[in-house]
Amino acid sequence: MGFRYGAYLVYGIIVLAFLGTAEYRGWSFVRPSEARIVPKSVRDNPGAYRSHYYGSGRYLRGK
Amino acid sequence: MTGSGTPLARGLNCPNCGSAVELRAGEHALTAVCPSCLSVLDAKDPNFRVLQTVEEKMRVKPRIPLGTRGTIMGGTYQVIGFQVRTIVVEGVSYSWHEYLLFNPYRGFRYLTEYQGHWNAVVTVHAVPTMQKQVVLSTAKLDGITYRHFQSASARTTFVLGEFPWQVRTGDTVEAQDYVAPPRLLSAETTADETTWSRSEYIAGDEVWKAFKLPGSAPPAVGIFANQPSPYGGIGRLWKAFVLLFIALAVMFLGREVSARREQVFSGQFVARPGANGDSTAFVTAPFELKGHTSNVELTTAGDLNNSWIFVDYALINEETGVSTEVAREASYYYGSDSDGNWSEGGKSDRAMIPSVPPGRYFLRVAPEVAPDGQAVTYNIRVRRDVPNALFFGVALLLLLLPPVMLSIRAAAFESQRWKESDHAFSISSSSDDSDE
Amino acid sequence: MTQPTANCPNCGAPITFLWSSAVQTVCPFCRTVLVRHDVNLLKVGEAADLPVDSSPIQIRTEGKYKGRNFLVVGRILYEYERGGWNEWHLIYSDGESGWLSDAQAEYAMSHRVPTPGNLPAPNDLKVGNDVEWNGNHYTVATRTVAHYRGVEGELPFETWDKSDVPFIDLRSRDGRFATLDWSDTPPTLYLGEFVEWDDLNLTNVREFEGWPLR
Repeated sequence: MGFRYGAYLVYGIIVLAFLGTAEYRGWSFVRPSEARIVPKSVRDNPGAYRSHYYGSGRYLRGK
Repeated sequence: MTGSGTPLARGLNCPNCGSAVELRAGEHALTAVCPSCLSVLDAKDPNFRVLQTVEEKMRVKPRIPLGTRGTIMGGTYQVIGFQVRTIVVEGVSYSWHEYLLFNPYRGFRYLTEYQGHWNAVVTVHAVPTMQKQVVLSTAKLDGITYRHFQSASARTTFVLGEFPWQVRTGDTVEAQDYVAPPRLLSAETTADETTWSRSEYIAGDEVWKAFKLPGSAPPAVGIFANQPSPYGGIGRLWKAFVLLFIALAVMFLGREVSARREQVFSGQFVARPGANGDSTAFVTAPFELKGHTSNVELTTAGDLNNSWIFVDYALINEETGVSTEVAREASYYYGSDSDGNWSEGGKSDRAMIPSVPPGRYFLRVAPEVAPDGQAVTYNIRVRRDVPNALFFGVALLLLLLPPVMLSIRAAAFESQRWKESDHAFSISSSSDDSDE
Repeated sequence: MTQPTANCPNCGAPITFLWSSAVQTVCPFCRTVLVRHDVNLLKVGEAADLPVDSSPIQIRTEGKYKGRNFLVVGRILYEYERGGWNEWHLIYSDGESGWLSDAQAEYAMSHRVPTPGNLPAPNDLKVGNDVEWNGNHYTVATRTVAHYRGVEGELPFETWDKSDVPFIDLRSRDGRFATLDWSDTPPTLYLGEFVEWDDLNLTNVREFEGWPLR
């Protein structure tokens, strides 16, 4: 059973290292966002910026 | 046979059928079985008088032939006797094979085989301490507690070879088995006495190797009473889990203490109805994100009153122009109906933007509210490096997974084992063997 | 150890004692049972021929048990309805006497102890009974009436005047045992334990054909 014990310890250390790094570096399981390069002119004309979510808007739920 | 010394082997002719009978254990033999007519003979009698003749000529071929020598149980032993013993449980017969092993100096040992499961057996001279409990009784010997497994009448159904005791086909003993895998303690009670023996489970391959048998050992079928659990190391696995959990807790606390949680931006704005995202879009003043690459928490808290706010955010690096976008919304509704008061949603929303390198950033903000509603006053707050307990939760689950899975399988193994016992439904596994 | 010698009063053969305190011996030449009275050897009977047996122990077998060397000097062969066993009389290097019993190559070492006054009554010693005695737990294992089937060598007591010996065997929980020899009242008590062949470091044993010792 020594092998199973050792294998589990190694696995556990990898889990801790990976999730510890993820937490420290602020990783995410999902990518809630899109990244791209935007021109500096966005400061002057924020309205011209077309976001990834442009037009998705929000639909009011009935309540 | 070579070497000098007192001879132990001798031959005789069966008085019943005249066939040659070979004896190997010298004067130790009390009874011997004619290999051809299966008559039981008195080995102490000068004429080897017949003690029992067998009508039913059922023959069982020992897997280890009589006369075979092997190195096992700490010495060289020769197979000199073989018997098949049978118990009947709920109308079903179960038979196992018993090999009598002999060394003229070390004495007698036994090997048993049931469907490919082998046990090395020695006689026990000490009297185990018996304890009757509500659910089951136990026997304690040499500091090991054995749990009662099965009681049955064991009948000798076939004999071959020679024996240092009076053996007959049809002999019956009351047998009781107690298990502490890989060991098993057996009591055999006759009218005269109770004899205890201790078995230790051994792999068929080891028997094959010890006796240099041709081919390979037949595979073991099912799970035997004292077969060691392949999940025997589960106790150590849980100990390893405790160690890893402590490490996880230390990491969690360290993170809670050392996270920056630095508020780098906060501003209050008003979103008016009737305009879409483009026309309401604006950018914030730049702010500095310090330290190592880590997350950014973006909180939108609105003065919501049966209304909603939707915000299209872009976090933009002032130097590189790299933009990360998130679309967020908050909505808060409340009222009352026949069930009483209700509310739904919340006045604020929190988003985590992952892995943002240090640098100067600003937000491009495009809010939107219900076209026919009220203007919403809202607050945007940006915090750098906020701990996220989710990772630790996931780590805990991943750490739990192997020991929990193995514990479940270990319990299934134990229930399979005990299914064959007298206590099929009264025992759940509580035996985490801490030994290897 | 100085070895006293004498001559057999029956056949005149020289008899060398391995143990100076021997009470009884058997002349190895004419099988006369001899009992020592002071310095004289008295002929008290004739020993029956010992049956052939397959014990690896023999007179002059030497061994070591719990750090003490011993020498086998005598033997009693007991018989009962289901077989027989040997009690080999042995002398430790410090002059003490003890027994090595060999029943179908199951070995046990024992020694006589003074019979205590608080022995359980024979009626309490039924097979299967648990008795607690001097702080030890024993279970009565067997009650056997055995008889002397034969003797050989030097013994610490006389055997020629009786034939049946009632024994009560008690087993402990850790492999030790007590044997009560109830041929006299009070009985004689022996305490001992079961041993394995390898525990005894035996030399000068009887070897068997085809079975090298090492």
